[in-house]
Amino acid sequence: MKDIRFDNVTKSFPTRSGTPFVAIRDVSLAVAEREFVAVVGPSGSGKTTLMRMAAGLDHPSEGSVRVGGREVTAPGPDRAVVFQQFALFPWKTVRENIAFGLRCKGVPRARQDEIVAHYLKLMSMEGTEDRFPHQLSGGMQQRVAIARSYAIEPDVLLMDEPFGALDAQTRTVMQEELVRLTRKEPRTVLFITHAVDEAVYLADRVVVLARDPGRLREIIDIRPTREAEDWDSRPIDQVMDLASFTHLRTQVWRLLRDQIRPDD
Amino acid sequence: MHGLPQAEPTNATIRPGAAARRSPGWRISRRVRIGLASLIGTFALWWLLTDITGVIGPHRFPAPAEFWAAFVQIAIDGYAGGTLITQAWYSTRLVIMGFLVAIATGVPLGLLMGVSHRAEALLNPAFLLVRPIPPLAWIPLAIVWLGLGDAAKILVIWFAAFVPSVINTWTGVRGVDRTLIAAARVHGAGELRLLWEVIIPGSLPMMFTGLRLSLQASWTTLVAAELVGAFFGLGRVLDAAYRDINPPMIAVAMLAVGVLGALTTRLVAVAERRLIPWRS
Repeated sequence: MKDIRFDNVTKSFPTRSGTPFVAIRDVSLAVAEREFVAVVGPSGSGKTTLMRMAAGLDHPSEGSVRVGGREVTAPGPDRAVVFQQFALFPWKTVRENIAFGLRCKGVPRARQDEIVAHYLKLMSMEGTEDRFPHQLSGGMQQRVAIARSYAIEPDVLLMDEPFGALDAQTRTVMQEELVRLTRKEPRTVLFITHAVDEAVYLADRVVVLARDPGRLREIIDIRPTREAEDWDSRPIDQVMDLASFTHLRTQVWRLLRDQIRPDD
Repeated sequence: MHGLPQAEPTNATIRPGAAARRSPGWRISRRVRIGLASLIGTFALWWLLTDITGVIGPHRFPAPAEFWAAFVQIAIDGYAGGTLITQAWYSTRLVIMGFLVAIATGVPLGLLMGVSHRAEALLNPAFLLVRPIPPLAWIPLAIVWLGLGDAAKILVIWFAAFVPSVINTWTGVRGVDRTLIAAARVHGAGELRLLWEVIIPGSLPMMFTGLRLSLQASWTTLVAAELVGAFFGLGRVLDAAYRDINPPMIAVAMLAVGVLGALTTRLVAVAERRLIPWRS
């Protein structure tokens, strides 16, 4: 298992006017091994840029991004990404999609089948293995995408608003399932979202970003409360009614609210 | 919708005759019925304009009976050096060969230009220069180089069919969802796997659009090239019938080209459905 470290990371993009657009300014952040960190922030706070740099899909202009102590230079299977748009291969069946990363790693066929069967069961998707993604609901597609990322046993799981494209009910079910999955098979998780509820419910720590340019605003510790009140063994709706949950959610919400302008 | 009520299974016991008539084995799909109606309508209009009313005289366009006579003549005795089957096969063979050469070169080049910005920068200027030249303008040069035989025809078809294959494959590659490419990379795909399992399947729909355009271009240019100079083929039949002032034979040759064009396009469509099963 590996940790993620952002050290004084600045990311700017060139623009036509000549003055570069600064997406992220001087962010330092560490996600410990097996820790679940959620990042929330208004649009324009560079949440996705942060995730893309950890994935190796973008590179910092200044500072460094390290995973397991090694500088990130390119995408690699130690850092699997779950995308908002699912990004399943439409021409591959559920089984082939989940096995994709395993084939890249050269895992023997028999072992691939075992792993695929394991995740199909864990995500309660038995019987769908020969379907194509377009034959599945949005929630099911995102389960396949999560299974595809989990299957390669990455040290780090990067999730970019993975439930953002789902309807409210499916979203709740998926949040519960993700808690179940990440407690059963913990990974170092960087979870990007704009939903405060989701961040507080899922994460050990919630990182709040400010915008224009994107920078670190505050980090809120959730884990002590969650463990003290044993959130993980309760249903999601019960947890969200707890006074402690409401308190934390309000705390995060206040940090976000004063940044939101009427035109958002 | 037609006005008849749909037969329910319960009705079948009451009216066995109706149920038998509507059994799925007998039933012709709506599309086929409309297609048949359209064909019959066209035929009726043709007959009406020629034989019945004489609006179109026999020197301009043949009546059904003359058309049939010309058809029988070329099918059995032959015309311009061969029967309909040999002439049609001669043209079809050239189209298939030219088309295959064009896509075997055009699709890989389109892939290369789509994947590599360097290849695009290198090849695009030449491409922009050659592209506006109508394919038919190559016919004289092809004949000067290679004479009236097969090689010149294949060269001309290649010029015509190559461009749509390249452009559409290239556009297809450029249109592949960036997130899918990112997803492949973050799950450990190397360059070759990325090309083979993501970029090529992702650009297949556009590629097939290119293949259909290429096939059409192949037929167009072949017939034109055969009109300019050939020993055999449907274009040669057209040319001979024009010299003999034989409108019925011209019509037979035209219809033959139309039917063959439709059949070969159908083959591409079948291949498309086989290769893109996920687009149901």
